[in-house]
Amino acid sequence: MLLRYTFQRLLMLIPVSISISIVIFMIVHLLPGDPIDNLLRIGSSPEDREALVARYGLDRSLFVQYFTWIGNLFQGDFGQAIVLRRPVIDLIGQNLPYSLVLGGLAFAFSSIVGMSLGIISSVVRNPIIDRLVRGFILLGSTVPGFWLALLLILFFAVNLRWFPVSGAGGWDSLVLPVLTIGFGGVALVARVTRVALMDARREDFVMLLHAKGLSHNTILFRHLMPHALLPVVTILALRIGWILGGAVTVEFVFGRPGLGSLLIRALGQRDYPVVQGCLLMLALAVMLGTLIGDIAQAAMDPRVREAKT
Amino acid sequence: MRYTTKKRLITGSAIISAGFLFATASMAQEITIAFDAGELGSTSYNPVTASNLNSAASLIYDRLIEQDADQSYHPHLATSWEESADGMTWTFALHEGVTFHDGSPFNAQSVADWIPDFAGSDNEYLVAAIASVDVIDDLTVRFNMERPEPNLLYNFASTFMGIPGPAAYEEMGEDFGVTGAVGTGPFMLESFEIGLQTVLVRNDDYAWASDLSENQGAAHVQQITFREIPDQSTAFLELQTGGVDLLLGVPTDFLQILAAEPNIQVIHMPGTGISYMPINVTAPPFDDILVREATGLAIDQPAIVAAVYNGVGAPAHNFLISSLPEAEVNDDLNVYPDLERAGALLDEAGWMMGADGVRMNAEGESLSVDLFTANSTEFTRLTQVVQAQLAGIGMEATITVFDSSTIRDEYRRNAHQLAVRAYDWNNSDILDWFFSGTRLGYPNVSMWEDAEGQRLNDRAMTESATFDERVANFLAYHEYVLSQHLFVPIYQPTKNIAFNTDTVIIPDPVRGTRFRSQTVLDIRVVE
Repeated sequence: MLLRYTFQRLLMLIPVSISISIVIFMIVHLLPGDPIDNLLRIGSSPEDREALVARYGLDRSLFVQYFTWIGNLFQGDFGQAIVLRRPVIDLIGQNLPYSLVLGGLAFAFSSIVGMSLGIISSVVRNPIIDRLVRGFILLGSTVPGFWLALLLILFFAVNLRWFPVSGAGGWDSLVLPVLTIGFGGVALVARVTRVALMDARREDFVMLLHAKGLSHNTILFRHLMPHALLPVVTILALRIGWILGGAVTVEFVFGRPGLGSLLIRALGQRDYPVVQGCLLMLALAVMLGTLIGDIAQAAMDPRVREAKT
Repeated sequence: MRYTTKKRLITGSAIISAGFLFATASMAQEITIAFDAGELGSTSYNPVTASNLNSAASLIYDRLIEQDADQSYHPHLATSWEESADGMTWTFALHEGVTFHDGSPFNAQSVADWIPDFAGSDNEYLVAAIASVDVIDDLTVRFNMERPEPNLLYNFASTFMGIPGPAAYEEMGEDFGVTGAVGTGPFMLESFEIGLQTVLVRNDDYAWASDLSENQGAAHVQQITFREIPDQSTAFLELQTGGVDLLLGVPTDFLQILAAEPNIQVIHMPGTGISYMPINVTAPPFDDILVREATGLAIDQPAIVAAVYNGVGAPAHNFLISSLPEAEVNDDLNVYPDLERAGALLDEAGWMMGADGVRMNAEGESLSVDLFTANSTEFTRLTQVVQAQLAGIGMEATITVFDSSTIRDEYRRNAHQLAVRAYDWNNSDILDWFFSGTRLGYPNVSMWEDAEGQRLNDRAMTESATFDERVANFLAYHEYVLSQHLFVPIYQPTKNIAFNTDTVIIPDPVRGTRFRSQTVLDIRVVE
């Protein structure tokens, strides 16, 4: 049953991917401006401009350009960056590991700390701790990432000099960016975990378990957590896509390479093949995250796969 | 007692570690430099094909000629040169004993092999006037020209004219400049991580510096790490905390903060560009030359330098940087503030001052215009001051902020009236770029088409046989452009370099038009 469900979900990715590729292509090409102005040198003639437009196929209809791009994609060719002058796949390959490491660590940090805080907040019957955690959740949900990044830099890098201000040199250069990105995630995961656990505790079966004399910890970890994990897993799965795309401003502030930095630079220069390649990677990550979330939900709850098959 | 001993141990270890680290850094003679924001994003150190080269490229490759801040030319790999009377041949004598990083000799054949590499590249225009190259002897080379090119020395001084090692260039193909690079420069490429950093190590054999450097031998510094830090605030904090020793291209906004730092010194290099306000001559009311002239007279350049740039830099009164001879125009054509005359001109043009401080014409239209600008803090601030100064003559300007790609589209759509923008170029051919009738919309933002202007442009660009003739022709073209009131000159920025005086010693003044090898050769690490 689960295999069938997974296969159906994979099949659905095909029309979704095609739709996304069309949307990405159109958004990029309908933006004002073009990459050619960034290639022209002072002294270039209008004929030079026309030649460059023709060289990169920008004089062809959008229809032809789209199918050329898609055709090349099917052969594993992401194209050649117009302004950055490198194969797009090389540029993505150089930047993706930085994004994966940063996003992966931030994901792990926000998942572990967020779930722990959510559990503490819902279990510990101490109003001060509960308020502190709720205050943290509110703060984490509202503080903008770039502002938090600057605060962390000023405190930990400038005043205390514990970590470098920027760069991607060693493990210490990861601490502040991971904290910055992870902070918002912690708040989100903590909030969802807290609400899910509190809802689960109101279920009738919990009273029965108490009546049977089971300990609080047994009820919490063996019976409540599987119930509460469903929405948490969904949220975490959706954040897999965000691992790659959520660090754009943080990469900028901390001077780190990454897919977000590459996308922003390419967008500013209207380097179409690079923007398309980056957006496609981000879209694939989101689709993959959603797929994992759906499959995990289906695996954990038979009602989900029965309802959807 | 235990606590005290432990504390002593920790303190002692910390001091020893710090001392060790300091000693290591001192002995290592290594420095870290943060690139100027405008230099970020290089994806290759191939000078022949790259679209964007940064300061590190000038350390890997030498050029035949160097240019100083006063725009004078100095020998480098070429020790002397001679132009024929008709401008159709140039003969260069080359420096003896120069070798590439791979040990191969630099000679006339290296030059002859290098020029054809430009064919088909976007940088081909730099050598477009060269028909062929003759090797006269091992250290003499002659360029035979398609046409006289009085701008040849300027082209040869460009970073894009750094000379790569021919053998490595051929062998490495498309990887040249990415995975490795070979030149004759004072530093060799050690590693290049696109978007992150470039590490260069000293070329110990270097003994052919130009006369712009005091040090004629190998560099004092053994290793340089160039870092790409996109956010200027972060780069500033890196300088403050010792993460970088030298910061290229410090924004004017930060200069006051840096002045309060005891261990940070700022050097101001003469800039190579102008901030200005182009006027769209096809968009009413600016199709009237009187309104255009009045607009120019409204802008108080010295007040802008004081208010926006804290007195750093200089007011611009015409379109070219003041170190160019073509900037020496008849002073009557330079643009200076004069509110009284501006008011009289607008009255003459039929725009009378209204009760609300905004002028109106006989049809009841108010003198309200669009003022476009780019999305940077410095530009936005400058534009706001310009807006306030325009209000002083009864012109109501509405500011719209665009990103650099979108604003070019707006120019091409002819949707603009006024704009605040800047260029960075130290050659008078910038006049052709911005005012030739063949490039209306962008870069000819003024949308100016004029038969006499085009004639003067063509004469300056293609009919000048010698350097002096070129200067005279561009001077005439510049004066004609000024007489048409196509733009308002505003500001000549400086290039600001900040460095940590605890770690490095930078020569002041910095020689050359930009921060390049001639300066880096003289940099010392504080012992």
